[in-house]
Amino acid sequence: MSKILEINNISKTFTNDDATNSKEVLTNVTFSVEENEMVVVFGPGQCGKTTLLNIIAGLEKPTTGDVKINCKEVTAPGPDRAVVFQNIMLFPWLTAYQNVEYSMKIRNFDKAERAKEAMKYLDLVGLNGFEQSYPVKLSGGMKQRVGIARAYCTKPDVMLMDEPFGALDAQTRYLMQDELLRISNTEKRTVVFITNNIEEALYVADRIIVMTDCPSTVMEEVIIDMPHPRERTDQKFLQLRKEISAMVNRRR
Amino acid sequence: MAIKIKKINFSKIFWGVLSIFLVFVIWYIGSQKPSMKGLLPNPIDVIKYIFWSNSNKIGKVNIWGHIYWSMTRVITGYVLACIVGIVLGFLTGWSKLGSAIIKPFYMVLRSIPSIAWIPLAILWFGIGEQSKYFIIFISTMLIVMTNVIDGVKDVDRDYLGVARMLGTSERKMFWNIVLPCAVPQIFNGLQVGLGAAWATVIAAEMVRSSKGVGWIILMGQTAMNMTQVFAGIIIIGLIGLTLALLMRGLEAKLCAWNVRGK
Repeated sequence: MSKILEINNISKTFTNDDATNSKEVLTNVTFSVEENEMVVVFGPGQCGKTTLLNIIAGLEKPTTGDVKINCKEVTAPGPDRAVVFQNIMLFPWLTAYQNVEYSMKIRNFDKAERAKEAMKYLDLVGLNGFEQSYPVKLSGGMKQRVGIARAYCTKPDVMLMDEPFGALDAQTRYLMQDELLRISNTEKRTVVFITNNIEEALYVADRIIVMTDCPSTVMEEVIIDMPHPRERTDQKFLQLRKEISAMVNRRR
Repeated sequence: MAIKIKKINFSKIFWGVLSIFLVFVIWYIGSQKPSMKGLLPNPIDVIKYIFWSNSNKIGKVNIWGHIYWSMTRVITGYVLACIVGIVLGFLTGWSKLGSAIIKPFYMVLRSIPSIAWIPLAILWFGIGEQSKYFIIFISTMLIVMTNVIDGVKDVDRDYLGVARMLGTSERKMFWNIVLPCAVPQIFNGLQVGLGAAWATVIAAEMVRSSKGVGWIILMGQTAMNMTQVFAGIIIIGLIGLTLALLMRGLEAKLCAWNVRGK
């Protein structure tokens, strides 16, 4: 196993335009992710997690520190990383199929190859029959399936998921967690998954990075060594849940 | 794509028909009053007149001839206005330099009502067709342009971020993200613009012309033929409505992805 993503000493301070007010949201965040690992960044509240993901994505610049993917520093957004957004952000003027093939099309892959890959991933996320539907006609869960297929079809080195199921109802959320595990079992990918839901973190993670509240930094790394499928009411599951919750609450 | 067949709403149709009918009844009763004689024609006469003009000439041509003349003017001015308005709108909305150059002129021109151009147009282009094209062009172009600028300005910045993540180069950003994002607003401009073009042609024809729907009204006034004036007004309304419906149908076809286009 090799380190594919390295996050070195990231800090981020937001300053308003006239520099009278500043807020530090991330301080000295350091961790790394290995190939094909599912790492969950778990932390309480609204502080810093999305900013961290945006920095890894290249959508925002860190105040200090750097992010390296395959030893190359991240400076701008690019298709070596794919983001699954909480608000999904499908292009509404494209059909499900066109959304999934978009990143290949824009990078001039030929049509046959695009079709093959896009259909494969739409199939993988269980959306056959909905290829020609526009996002406006799809439910929240289905839209996020398209979002996941789109991320896969980009062929990224790292997939970044920003509370991807946060906007879904509880039932759909459980379903999508199972789907995510099924999909990533079928085709292994390196995933950084952000959530503020401890149960979700424990259910999908190989390793959990526990973050502190504002300004966020890494508090603890917990390796979750339980086989899938995990049972949410299992003794070990509940024990870990208790421990991590206590960890977070103590430091609040 | 499956086209949803709208459920026919009978109660809506009923009230619509009833209200139109009532207006005609009130109009009819009003027209029977001696004090209204010569000012308010009988609605039945007006409708008869419209059917009569289907096969008889008003002035040089029958009603279809007049509609044809008006529509030719509208379409010529409108198409030119759309092309120029969309190009200028994108230049102003997307490019900082374009905005700096075009915006001042746009701001001044925008506050001039279309009728104010008529005397100038006649002096520049004479009383022929060109002056009418010009008036329609200038009033419609500014409406289209306004909507294109707004459409480009309203493009969700987050979509640009997503597009960059998916590998879109800045060079391809315009065609792949900005343009489709702005399409619904552009359509709005095309729709409002067509209405304005139609209104403007009537105004232009009422100032100076020898054919056209606006001319029918003007002639009716000159000859104190109120039936003809009313017939002209009703025809203008019906054609304006038809144009609006056609545009809406086109939008629903081309922008099926958009909630507005449903």
